[in-house]
Amino acid sequence: MNTHTAALMNTHTIDTNAPVISADAYDTTAFYTDAGAVPTVTNTTAPDAVALPSPGASTAQLLAAAQEAGRRSVPAPLAETALVARPLLRRAGLPVPDGPLSYTIAPELTIRYAHPAPSPVGSAGCLGDDNTLLVTGTLRRVPWARAATAVVVLATAPFGPVLFTLTPDQASLTPGANLAEEPRDDLHLATLEIPASHVRRISPELLDEARLRAALARSALIAGAAERCVDLTVAHTTARTQFGRPLSRFQAVKQEEARLIEETALVRTAVQAAAPLDPGGPAAHVVIAAAKTQASASAAEIARIAHQLHGAIGITQLNPLHLATTRLWSWRDEDGDETYWARRLARPLTATTLWPTLTTTP
Amino acid sequence: MSPSTLSPTPTLSPIAFPDVALPESARRLRAEVRAFADEERARGTVLGRPDSWLAGWDPGFSRRCAERGWVGMALPTEYGGAGRGFLDRYVVIEELLAAGAPVSAHWVSDRQAGPSILQHGTEEQRRFFLPRIAAGQCFFSIGMSEKNSGSDLASVATRAERTADGWRLTGTKMWTGGAHVNDYAIVLARTDDAEDKHAGLSQFIVDLRAPGVRIEPIRLMSGEHRFNAVHLEGVDVPDGMLLGERGSGWKQVTGELAFERSGPERYLSTFPLLVSLLRELEQRSATAEQLVQVGILTARLHSVRQLSLGVAAALDAGHSPDTQAALVKDLGTRLEGALVDTVRSILPTPADSHATPGSHPELLAFALLHSPGYTLRGGTNEILRGIITRGLEQH
Ligand SMILES: Cc1cc2nc3c(=O)[nH]c(=O)nc-3n(C[C@H](O)[C@H](O)[C@H](O)COP(=O)(O)OP(=O)(O)OC[C@H]3O[C@@H](n4cnc5c(N)ncnc54)[C@H](O)[C@@H]3O)c2cc1C
Repeated sequence: MNTHTAALMNTHTIDTNAPVISADAYDTTAFYTDAGAVPTVTNTTAPDAVALPSPGASTAQLLAAAQEAGRRSVPAPLAETALVARPLLRRAGLPVPDGPLSYTIAPELTIRYAHPAPSPVGSAGCLGDDNTLLVTGTLRRVPWARAATAVVVLATAPFGPVLFTLTPDQASLTPGANLAEEPRDDLHLATLEIPASHVRRISPELLDEARLRAALARSALIAGAAERCVDLTVAHTTARTQFGRPLSRFQAVKQEEARLIEETALVRTAVQAAAPLDPGGPAAHVVIAAAKTQASASAAEIARIAHQLHGAIGITQLNPLHLATTRLWSWRDEDGDETYWARRLARPLTATTLWPTLTTTP
Repeated sequence: MSPSTLSPTPTLSPIAFPDVALPESARRLRAEVRAFADEERARGTVLGRPDSWLAGWDPGFSRRCAERGWVGMALPTEYGGAGRGFLDRYVVIEELLAAGAPVSAHWVSDRQAGPSILQHGTEEQRRFFLPRIAAGQCFFSIGMSEKNSGSDLASVATRAERTADGWRLTGTKMWTGGAHVNDYAIVLARTDDAEDKHAGLSQFIVDLRAPGVRIEPIRLMSGEHRFNAVHLEGVDVPDGMLLGERGSGWKQVTGELAFERSGPERYLSTFPLLVSLLRELEQRSATAEQLVQVGILTARLHSVRQLSLGVAAALDAGHSPDTQAALVKDLGTRLEGALVDTVRSILPTPADSHATPGSHPELLAFALLHSPGYTLRGGTNEILRGIITRGLEQH
């Protein structure tokens, strides 16, 4: 973790009186530098900590931790590290570094062999003496890049899909952020040499699995942020009085609040449906595509109702609601929006496969 | 960081649904039901129609389901049931609804009357009714609503007066689905005047062919006859047909609601229309935009199904997830309505009731004409949302 992150953490102040803990209570440095010793969320019904889950955690545990991170607006790439980068490195057979990790899928990079074979077959650079690569191009909007120990890059080389890692200091970094002020940095690579020890050729399936993992992680974060909207809204409408009674006593308020609760339950359950699955397995595709489609599609309604019921206070920095809603608006677009995933979900469907597809799980 | 310094997170029960893992038996069962539905489709009885649990009345089909043990499935074997859980039952009914099978004859007896008689009935009532229900030979209606008692069900005015050996019922029930073709109705009536209008209500099993029962059709806007006004003009009901305890009617009725509200019929009524749309799209190869809309609907169906399964799992485990059931019904029935509109906009088609039965324009017309009912029957969505927020605040 570098100084950028420390500075960034300080900009995230969460109302400590809120039912959810303050982001300041997290010393993210501690739980990233000693990955082997971090506590794990083992009990999904009473999580009392959001820490980076241990490497052996199940998908269900990882999802619970990511959801909790989303709920508490944790200012660190917990879901990115635990649900995406680490498993991908493991699947590719590369060592998993300690600390926060990030990932990006970057099909538009220019990739060549650093040491082309003397008598190449086909166009130059198609065969290499080893897998050392020369990479040029820009990795756009990489989550938490400035804070990451390493960034996992999935790209397409002339010889097929490839996964490699780099550290942010190997690139020139243009800081960027999403609506929630979470870092989304551009990394510019100018003929950067990636040593063969950091490179693995991967199957197209693993490239696809990376997309699914990223979508799942993002869906879990959205589910958590949605729950935060419910927490905050219910607390607000029961505490605030107008016309002599609490807001929650008004029919019209109840109606809206119930829709908020419903939409949140919907997203949460859609994400939970992936818990028993291997995110690389065949059944996972439908469930994860459905989860991200639903999570992204519900974000607008959840944010709308939460803000409406908070009244003017909700649109200020005095109130923590914005921590959740700005994340919802950002996360719904990241790792594939509902348009992208809906199309992928629907493309293989026919009149005869629709119902069997819907009932593959559980 | 030490985890113990963090405050515990409040849990939100109404949005926390149990995880579901269907047993292997359910998987086998699903395959059996699919094969059965295919056979029935081949004989022309399964027509892939929307809202088949309201409108698909075919006692022969119901009996064939019963022969396979799929009616009254969750009833104990000693009463002729199959002694299987709610999750097995769930799989059977979702398969039949998805296929658009004509299940309305046995729907209410399977979903409500059976479980209710098992729970509240006398031993005599159980021995008489449950085997007949499970055999698909005894069909029930719900006699709750009245002209002035809709959302405010506790205001029912139908009265039951004590007689020498039973009760005499007087009043008019409204919207009684299937009363003209079914055998019995479970009628909610006032037995005692009480300060609290929820007290003094009782349930009766009324023979729909008994003297004094006059059934008057109420036609749907499509012209179909599904509903009735049931006039109870001094109907004598023997003592043995009081269901449960005198004065406990309200508690019994609300206890039934988790069964009534969360099932797959609350999001699958219009599913056959989506299947029909896909069939149409296959013939003209879908555009990217059409795919997106189909995908968004599919994701929502998938997600609502997970919630609905969660309620079934809770019921199976012996809980009464009333708040969750209300939540599923509100989401599910709104989805049903939205599905009709979305299908129409994905593939603009003038709805036409007179088009060939089973054609896309005809199915669209059918689903559309039925659509206002989705969010009314079983308790309106506005009322359900009151239940949901109360559930959350009380938590
Ligand atoms: C297809 C269908 C099948 C049915 N089958 C049966 C059956 O078999 N047996 C049976 O007994 N009944 C049946 N019903 C009746 C059904 O239960 C009632 O229609 C329902 O409970 C609503 O009552 P109502 O129609 O009188 O509307 P009302 O109660 O008059 O309500 C009208 C509108 O006002 C709203 N409203 C009322 N009170 C409130 C409030 N306090 N706060 C907010 N909004 C409110 C309602 O939500 C609704 O939108 C059926 C209905 C339909 C549509």
